[in-house]
Amino acid sequence: MRIVNIAALLLALASAFLLYGLNYDTRMIESRLQSREREAERARADIAVLRAERAHLARPERIEPLARGLGLEPLAARHLIPGAGVAAHGITTSSTGQ
Amino acid sequence: MSAAARVTEPVITAAASPRSRSRVLAFGVTLMFVAVAGQLINLALRHEGASTIRVSMMSTPSGTLARPDIVDRNGRLLATDVQMPSLYADPLMIQDADEAAEQLATLFPGLNVRELRRNLADRTRRFVWVRRGLSPGMAQRVHNLGIPGLLFVDEIRRTYPAGRLGGHILGRVDIDNRGVAGVERYIDEIGASEAAFGARLSARAPVRLSLDVAVMHALDEELAGAMTRYEAAGAAGLVLDVRTGEVVASVSRPGVDPAIAEEALDPARIDKVVAGTYELGSIVKLVTVALALEGGKSLESMVDTTQPLKAGRFTIEDLHPLGRPMTVGEVFVHSSNVGAGQLALSAGLEAQKAFFQKLGLWGPMRTEVSPGTEPQKPAQIGRIEQITLAFGHGMAVTPIQFAAAAAALVNGGTAVAPTFLARDAAVPPAKGRRLVSPRTSALLRDIMRRNVTDPVGTGRRADVAGFEVGGKTGTAEMAVSGGYRKKAVLASFLATFPASNPSFLTLVMLFEPKGQDVTAGEITAGRNAAPTTARLIERVAPLLGVPAKLL
Repeated sequence: MRIVNIAALLLALASAFLLYGLNYDTRMIESRLQSREREAERARADIAVLRAERAHLARPERIEPLARGLGLEPLAARHLIPGAGVAAHGITTSSTGQ
Repeated sequence: MSAAARVTEPVITAAASPRSRSRVLAFGVTLMFVAVAGQLINLALRHEGASTIRVSMMSTPSGTLARPDIVDRNGRLLATDVQMPSLYADPLMIQDADEAAEQLATLFPGLNVRELRRNLADRTRRFVWVRRGLSPGMAQRVHNLGIPGLLFVDEIRRTYPAGRLGGHILGRVDIDNRGVAGVERYIDEIGASEAAFGARLSARAPVRLSLDVAVMHALDEELAGAMTRYEAAGAAGLVLDVRTGEVVASVSRPGVDPAIAEEALDPARIDKVVAGTYELGSIVKLVTVALALEGGKSLESMVDTTQPLKAGRFTIEDLHPLGRPMTVGEVFVHSSNVGAGQLALSAGLEAQKAFFQKLGLWGPMRTEVSPGTEPQKPAQIGRIEQITLAFGHGMAVTPIQFAAAAAALVNGGTAVAPTFLARDAAVPPAKGRRLVSPRTSALLRDIMRRNVTDPVGTGRRADVAGFEVGGKTGTAEMAVSGGYRKKAVLASFLATFPASNPSFLTLVMLFEPKGQDVTAGEITAGRNAAPTTARLIERVAPLLGVPAKLL
């Protein structure tokens, strides 16, 4: 009986330590997770700002004068040639798709 | 165990013996340990702690909404949430309210200093907003003031990177990021926004609009150019996909910046495409000719236009009467008011009214951005109203509503419901209800094209090589209380291209254009709205993927 008692006590102690350890690790992991989540949240917020800024800088109102300054203009019918005439103009179509 | 115990053994029952008693005790203790261990495992594995925290956060009321992004049909960003610091004060921690208010006023010129001073001096409060939604640079400058009791909290704020482009359609949000107009309001109505806890940004998929930023900009620029060229007081335009009803571009000038609430509330900046109602003038003859064609007439049927039309004390005359009977086609191309009136009279009152109703011109038309504006209709319809309705007077509708009706007339004859949301390209467009026969639709396309190619057609200045433009002019005298102003007109041009199998419809409207040298002093739509449409179509057709027919 004594052996059983001692064994139970030891088992209880061992499981208590084990559980304490597990619990402690869990808390550690949880706090690490939280700080990672905060980092991710901050990164998402930064991305949102950067995307808004990029969209603002790429707004047509701003791009158009810059493009015209480079000598570009809107595509018009006179820039187009029928498919059969492409070869005659010596233009390759490989890099113009999409 | 002990000898005494052994002596009493025969007397005492087995269950009560000391040995079994201690065994029961040991078993009980073990059981308790197991229970404790089980609970510990339970707590460790199920993150009970985390969910309790979340519950306590939920109970803090937060009025702010996190909204999904709004993008155009090609995914270009039109509206997004960003985190911005908001400045508040804790009056209990403020030492010198007067000085704090004074210093803040130097940073924020628009600040109500008196109210702020009173609020900061109020020691019963612990929370006073000073300014919400600061830029990071501004927050740093406030921080540099070094006043204790001024604190920041991150809040979600809506930003519109495209500025005024699409401002009317996007609508706007209030200080708590709740949609109060336009698509923003629609997003809240369909429940796509969510409560924002701790200034978390929404992770939901963006709302994709049918608008194309590039086409919007081209339309905006062409309208701006036309306003300058013809000294117009305002302008509006629309590009509509006639098969799906998607609004690819809709612009009303002067525009609104969604970030500036005063602009949205300014009546001069009303959305002239969706919210304003106008007497559209002769472009409505498209409907009248459609009515005649549905009634069995052909484009060659003759109409008596030799005499001015009389109705009571009114006389309807043509600007340039031919002095001979016209065909239905000529009524359209010469834009004859008398001819249109005759067509309406021969169709009959009930048929005319039913046709307007069928085309959705008799009641408000709902879109995602607006519940629609009720058309202004004559209280009673007699002979004179019948005649004026035939050429677009005496009744005011929203331009988008008329565009939807016109789209149905040219797309083969099926109803179109304009939408500001992008359609799923994988799903084939549902055929709308049939409104007119394919024959009527084909004849209308034909006559619209002829109006542009005919050397005397009112729409001849709208032609664009390669894109088969068909269209109709409308020059409506603008109504003021009690009558019409002679020299103030609404010049509009309704066009579709390519006319043989239309993909798109455009509507260009110029408000109060003036006569210029380039228009030979005239203010009619054929001189201003038609050439503006030509410039527009030449510019946007390649963007819309409409192939040019080259010779």
